[in-house]
Amino acid sequence: MTEIAVRVDHVSKSFRMYHERNQTIKSAIMRGRRSVHEDFWALKDVTFDVPVGSTFGLIGSNGSGKSTLLKCLANIYYPNKGSVTHHGTMAAMLEVGSGFHAELSGRENVFLNASILGMSKKEITRKFDEIVDFSGVEQFIDQPVKNYSSGMYVRLGFAIAINIDPEILVVDEVLSVGDAEFQAKCFQKFRDFKVAGKTVILVSHDTKTVQAMCDQAAWINKGELQVVGPSAPTIDAYLKSIKGLPE
Amino acid sequence: MRYLKELLKSRELLANLTMREIRGKYKRTVFGQLWSLVNPLALMLIYTFVFSLIFRIKPDVGDPSGQNNFALWLLCGLLPWTFLSTVINLGVGSLVANVGLIQKVAFNRIVLPLSLVGSAGYNWLFEMGVLVVALTISVGLLGGIMLQWIPLVIIAMVLLAVFAAGIALMLSIANVYFRDTQWFVTILLQMWLYLSPVIYPSSMVSTVSNQIGGIFGSGITLDSIYYLNPMVHFLDLFRVLLYDNRWPDVATWFICLAWAVGLFALGMIVFRRNERNLAETL
Repeated sequence: MTEIAVRVDHVSKSFRMYHERNQTIKSAIMRGRRSVHEDFWALKDVTFDVPVGSTFGLIGSNGSGKSTLLKCLANIYYPNKGSVTHHGTMAAMLEVGSGFHAELSGRENVFLNASILGMSKKEITRKFDEIVDFSGVEQFIDQPVKNYSSGMYVRLGFAIAINIDPEILVVDEVLSVGDAEFQAKCFQKFRDFKVAGKTVILVSHDTKTVQAMCDQAAWINKGELQVVGPSAPTIDAYLKSIKGLPE
Repeated sequence: MRYLKELLKSRELLANLTMREIRGKYKRTVFGQLWSLVNPLALMLIYTFVFSLIFRIKPDVGDPSGQNNFALWLLCGLLPWTFLSTVINLGVGSLVANVGLIQKVAFNRIVLPLSLVGSAGYNWLFEMGVLVVALTISVGLLGGIMLQWIPLVIIAMVLLAVFAAGIALMLSIANVYFRDTQWFVTILLQMWLYLSPVIYPSSMVSTVSNQIGGIFGSGITLDSIYYLNPMVHFLDLFRVLLYDNRWPDVATWFICLAWAVGLFALGMIVFRRNERNLAETL
């Protein structure tokens, strides 16, 4: 048995779909009760293990629940049933540059953003040069980030997130950022992660990316886990299901 | 207890977010931090004009300091009040304003309202510093000493900050569920200002209370209701220390401590109960 990095154990997650939502006190009082709603199960009894050192892909169509699952993995949502267990430090990159303050300089934002992502000041100071180097915005690091081009903004955000150096990295579809050169740099970084025996979980509906990077994959459809296992057969099954639709 | 430990772990993040507020606030303004003084000074001018010159409110002369200056007396209460109202006003919206962050990153959410207490506290400290200088000069001319009271003033400031944090925690959660909260708060703060002895001394309320006696023939006096307002005690603390330069009653200290600890604990409980649902509720 290989070691388990993340265990997803019978996870179910529902959202309330409000027919009449009382977000004002008036409506709450007038109607007497809080609101009328219906539960929508975005995830139904999903169970799988992510082995240590693997690169694990989550695939599925839009609205299949993969982002919900990712947020459960990242401790942003909490499942209604079941549990998610991490073995090791975890960092999630669901959006780059979250919490950047437009008026502050790149330097100040690196410290701010990295601490939101859970790094201590000492670590940030130690890795600062590496982050700036990776982002390729050295020249502008003391400029306010509102003057950055969108590419620079995203690159800086990504550079911070990827330099947190966790044991488990959870990534949403943020790989499509930056130019080809930057993307190549990112892929290299992911490969380094793998070599270092770290676990990467990534979400994508681009099967090519998943094919190229992942050794394990899980396919989710309408909140239910369809296939989990080595990436090639999982992707095949997923593609077959899409082709099966009338064209 | 475990929660406090978690909070301690997030202290660097709290410090960084506080710095974000402080640095971001006066960026690209010519006067920078001085703006923090403008608001209380403008209020001081207008209140002094209206309440001292027109309404002829005369607070007691500082005992034993001998201070006799309405503007300084006013500021001793006005600065704590503006701090409280800033924390509450900004704190209410602190979660709603950071939707993006809450939905994308896992971190201890409590730092969002608390960072506002930090940044407002920083401004307040600056304002109080200026006030202390003014009071020292004024009392120095009268032959008294001001500086020895500063440590106690700082303790009182911490108590008020904890009290304000508790309120901000509760209201920030309430505002996630009912967006009306922020509008209510604006009105309630207005009423609270006039119900607190900021622009008039609480002794005036006691005078009226003694004239009326028990309300509607009952044993309840106006005073006994008035003193339910925690700000009466907090402002008393600040005025006695800063303006009168003497030891406040031990009872006043304990009442303020109880209010601060009680509301903060309540705020923590409310916040903790709802913290996990924030990402999806927002």
